Amino acid sequence: MLQNKQDAEDAVQETFLKVHRSLPGFHGESSLGTWMYRILINCCYDIVRRRKRLAETGEPADAGRHSEIPLRLALERALKRIEDKHRMVFLLFEVEGLKHSEIAGILSIPEGTSRSWLFEAKRELKRHLMLPEPRP
Amino acid sequence: MKFECGDLDRALAVPDLMPDALLHAKTCPACRRELRLWNEISRTAGQLHQEWDSPDLWPRIREALAAEPKPSKPWWRSWYWLAVPALALGIFAAVLLRPPRRAEPVRGRSFLTEQALQEVEQNEAAYRKSIDKLSELAGQKLETTESPLAVSYREKLVLLDSAINDVKATLSRNRFNAQLRTELAGLYRDKQKTLEEILTRDSKN
Repeated sequence: MLQNKQDAEDAVQETFLKVHRSLPGFHGESSLGTWMYRILINCCYDIVRRRKRLAETGEPADAGRHSEIPLRLALERALKRIEDKHRMVFLLFEVEGLKHSEIAGILSIPEGTSRSWLFEAKRELKRHLMLPEPRP
Repeated sequence: MKFECGDLDRALAVPDLMPDALLHAKTCPACRRELRLWNEISRTAGQLHQEWDSPDLWPRIREALAAEPKPSKPWWRSWYWLAVPALALGIFAAVLLRPPRRAEPVRGRSFLTEQALQEVEQNEAAYRKSIDKLSELAGQKLETTESPLAVSYREKLVLLDSAINDVKATLSRNRFNAQLRTELAGLYRDKQKTLEEILTRDSKN
């Protein structure tokens, strides 16, 4: 999601701090894991927003290291071009291996919506992968 | 049903149609390529998962946690453990000493909540009815055309209907869930927008 190890580690650290601060307000409405995952995802969104704000145009440190694998690289690029909510479900399901029931809990959406967003994500990705790369 | 290339996207959304799609792909190179790409996306996605050792991370987190100001205890926490048994004892005594009373019909908050919910359900039913009418009109237009756009619209409607049914099924188990009601309203709005798009597009063409 962040495509950068440093940012990922910062997100984990920020998650622990937020969990520590918000623990008194946690009343077990969801499982602790789901709650922490939700915080982690919000931290990732914060980092992405911060990154956009700072307009850091440089490539992430480890981007391009898989350029010898064309489909993987194309998929990484296509993922940047699909809708945020679809990308999130795709990453949680296909990359992180979570179940739709778990994703539904984390994103506070019904399971059917999670399934439908995954389908939309794959359809958008398929479309992007079949199209030629956009000119910069 | 004769499976055609235009049905492929629907088959990807509805697993029951997949055997027909696979059969069709045996003789259709374009669909075979699309199906291969579809499966390839999931397979390649698995390779995007990354794990790495980060021995410095946990000490860093521990340090940051130690530097955090300790959350102050809420005022009620200090006498909470004394107050709870006392309160329980008080309630127990009150229940035991209370004179018997005749049961009264349920009034107040629960009654109002039920009434409010009934109003919401009535409005929802009216909204659904008007969407059904739109759906009939748009359905007639969609049935007469086989353009890729029409196929895509049909597919989107199938997905929306499936999501709506899903939410409705969950709601039937907990009618008071406001979040699901909002989600359902959102899905209905999406469906209405899609149907309006179909009808407007058609009248423009």
